[in-house]
Amino acid sequence: MAIEITGLTAGYGREPVLKEINTWVSQGRICGLLGHNGSGKTTLMNCINAIIKPDRGRITVMGKDVNRLSRVQIAQLISVVPQSSYSVFDFPVLDMVLMGSVARLKAWASPGKSERQKAYKVMAEVGISELASAQYNKLSGGQQQMVLLARALYQDTPLMLLDEPNSHLDFCNQHRMMELMKRVVKQHGVTALITLHDPNLALYYCDEIIMLKQGRIVIQGLTEKIMNDTHLRQALGENIQLDATSAGLPVVVPRNLCDCLTHELEMREKEMVRSAM
Amino acid sequence: MQKKIWIILIVVFILSLIVSLSVGRYAISFTELGSILFAKLGIKGILDAPVENSAIVFWNVRLPRIIMAFAVGCGIAIAGVIFQALFRNPLASPDILGVSSGSAFGAALSIVFITEMAMGIQLSAFCFGVLAVCITFLLGTRSWDKSASVLVISGIVVSAIFQAGLSILQYISDPYTQLAKIMFWTMGSFQTSSWPKVEITLPIIIIGSIILGVFSWRLNIMTQDEKEILSLGVNIKRWRLFYLGISTLIVASAVATVGEIRWVGLIMPHIARFLVGTEHKRLIPTAAFLGGSFMLLMDTFARTVTASEIPISIITSLFGAPFLGYLILSRKGGAAKSGY
Repeated sequence: MAIEITGLTAGYGREPVLKEINTWVSQGRICGLLGHNGSGKTTLMNCINAIIKPDRGRITVMGKDVNRLSRVQIAQLISVVPQSSYSVFDFPVLDMVLMGSVARLKAWASPGKSERQKAYKVMAEVGISELASAQYNKLSGGQQQMVLLARALYQDTPLMLLDEPNSHLDFCNQHRMMELMKRVVKQHGVTALITLHDPNLALYYCDEIIMLKQGRIVIQGLTEKIMNDTHLRQALGENIQLDATSAGLPVVVPRNLCDCLTHELEMREKEMVRSAM
Repeated sequence: MQKKIWIILIVVFILSLIVSLSVGRYAISFTELGSILFAKLGIKGILDAPVENSAIVFWNVRLPRIIMAFAVGCGIAIAGVIFQALFRNPLASPDILGVSSGSAFGAALSIVFITEMAMGIQLSAFCFGVLAVCITFLLGTRSWDKSASVLVISGIVVSAIFQAGLSILQYISDPYTQLAKIMFWTMGSFQTSSWPKVEITLPIIIIGSIILGVFSWRLNIMTQDEKEILSLGVNIKRWRLFYLGISTLIVASAVATVGEIRWVGLIMPHIARFLVGTEHKRLIPTAAFLGGSFMLLMDTFARTVTASEIPISIITSLFGAPFLGYLILSRKGGAAKSGY
């Protein structure tokens, strides 16, 4: 297992955000973390990355207890792609990507020729080579996200945590990001845990899904097995349902939207019948 | 581009050095400067033997003063870069943690109660400067919030307390002798620079600056969001303490020797960023060179423009503040490079 969590209770104050979490993520998979705002997704990510110390429980990544490791050791196991990043002092993209090398350099060292070559390679993989000398803060949200992904890839870790990586991206870039993640996971054999708001992205791109609600796990397992009306409603609310497009692709939609669509279709059919008469 | 900037910086430094060495109440001509240096190096026959008075002024008065001014300028500019990076704030300056207020209190305490001897004042100012920062750290680390902003607030608290202490000392001091001395000290001056002072201050500034220069690349990471810094594998608490500790020693030793130096730690990093961008491996040496050269020129100005010497902080504020304003208004070109 890439991640194993047993009896995890954690939070920020007296009231824990996560309550008795027991879960795991298989190696070499994309695992989607679904849940409402405030369900504990980001807290769980922060616990796995040892940013938050748990009140109780144990988290192992690649068999190692993360709370017994140094920051350097953790950074050699786990890389993180945040939702967004704003740098007060604006750096060129190349320098931003090179920051991913710090965990593998001596304390006094700075990136040399080989690190730069690796950075260019990673940027090419993500498709941002032409942005190498551009200033990070002047890029679009989508481009910035790609830079953060390149930096995480540079870290070359077996586990990648992506905290709502699509939150600032348009529709096409959301799918581009997820396609890229799928390719990265396949090529590098890494494991990716991604928090998502859109269950459709989880449905199309994730091998496994963990659904959280109010700090507890509702259900977890292989996407095709657990993505059904019952579980979606349990985790995301009564207004959610699994439907299908005209091409037969499964799609998660809000139920009242379905009602609207059904009503519109019925109206059109009636009109067609009327005009035919 | 980088090479051109460095050539310009070196030319500016050499020019400011020559001007500083020759200009003053006792002017030394360029020929005399040459003859003094040749005489020291044992080269004879090229220039006439130097006038004895010129040689004495050069070796005992002007050179230690110039070395001190350059070193202090370098050190404070480097500390400015470090503080702005660690607090992710382009308006942060080295006295944000209370080092200047602590040093000023220490100096005043020595003047009023202990000794008016330069060495005693220097030692007391250094100890209280470091003590102020230690209290700031202690307050900051006791808070539930571990972010850098808590340290800034702690710094404000500690500065205010030491400022109040300084005011009390000024109030009870002898207005005819001690008060003037305290006032002059708080406004900074290189007037009392001497070889013994250089011998005490210079090693701290040089060693500190070299260490900060060696570890400069990591500062790029320290400018990121705290969660990102941790995720990238940097122990934020340890490295913050490391950078702030060394910077504080540099600033405390500089301020303890020459008094408060305003604006240099704030504006030199901005000008350096404007020239070479935000990457700290380039930024630190550039800021150091700029800070040193600027301080040389300001000190020369302070000791030559009027009959009596003007405190250095007045001059640095007078030149520094408008220059920062100019940079803000005309940062079209710089913004592309530095982006702040």
